[in-house]
Amino acid sequence: MKILVTDDSRVMRQIVIRTLRQAGYDDHEIIQAADGREALQLVGSEQPDLVLSDWNMPEMSGIECLQALRASGSQIPFGFVTSEGSPEMREKAASAGALFLIAKPFTEETFRDALDGVLA
Amino acid sequence: MTAAAVQEPITGLLDAATVLAVADDVWTSLVGDGEVLVPLPLPAPAETVSAWVQITGPWCGAVVVSCAEATAEALTGCLLRARPPAVLEPEDVEDALGELANVLGGNVKAVLPGPSALGLPQAGPNPPAARPGDLCRVDAQWRGQFLTITVQGATGAPHAERTR
Repeated sequence: MKILVTDDSRVMRQIVIRTLRQAGYDDHEIIQAADGREALQLVGSEQPDLVLSDWNMPEMSGIECLQALRASGSQIPFGFVTSEGSPEMREKAASAGALFLIAKPFTEETFRDALDGVLA
Repeated sequence: MTAAAVQEPITGLLDAATVLAVADDVWTSLVGDGEVLVPLPLPAPAETVSAWVQITGPWCGAVVVSCAEATAEALTGCLLRARPPAVLEPEDVEDALGELANVLGGNVKAVLPGPSALGLPQAGPNPPAARPGDLCRVDAQWRGQFLTITVQGATGAPHAERTR
């Protein structure tokens, strides 16, 4: 499977990718985007199987990217990895069609709990 | 005419123990297992670098992380798990310190009155000015080096004594 990791922080993308490996998802191809707009383009051109996305990003936020994907008819599995995990944000994410929201700081277990049903 | 909403000083909303508890989780997860912030103050170095995120809502202010440049570089190495220690680009150091501020800010925001919005991380030598007395600061050490985390009210926010 191909996973698109989207975050405007290169350091955080590396941390997310490392945590994916540590959580046991080390046989998946990883591609990266630096904001929602690039993620949107890569979903079209690279056809990943899952998008993991930050929420707050310049150019286009994660929620705007998800809304644009759903508006275009894409049903690609989409989950947030973000520094905010309030009930309001979780509700907003779910309403927009996200499968899960992983709040930072996270652990390998958090990733496994969220991703096992998606990547199994 | 209705009175402008008055912002309570951060000291009435948050204490240093809460900030330290948030920081402990962030350090364990991002910096590494066994990496801890020790809440003992040290004299500030001559020059510090900072990263911060703004919170805008019923409470407006910033969460600021400050330390020496060398400490920021060491933190970056830890976040990237660079072994052996790699030559780091200045953008990576700003990015890493910014992400620490971002994750701290997101978790601090969760315990403040909402709804509120978190800004994008910024970094540099001069963080936003703190309003005197309207701050909650953890003076700490990481690996024996100076590091502070400050949650501070915005200087422009309407405060109780201004509107009285």
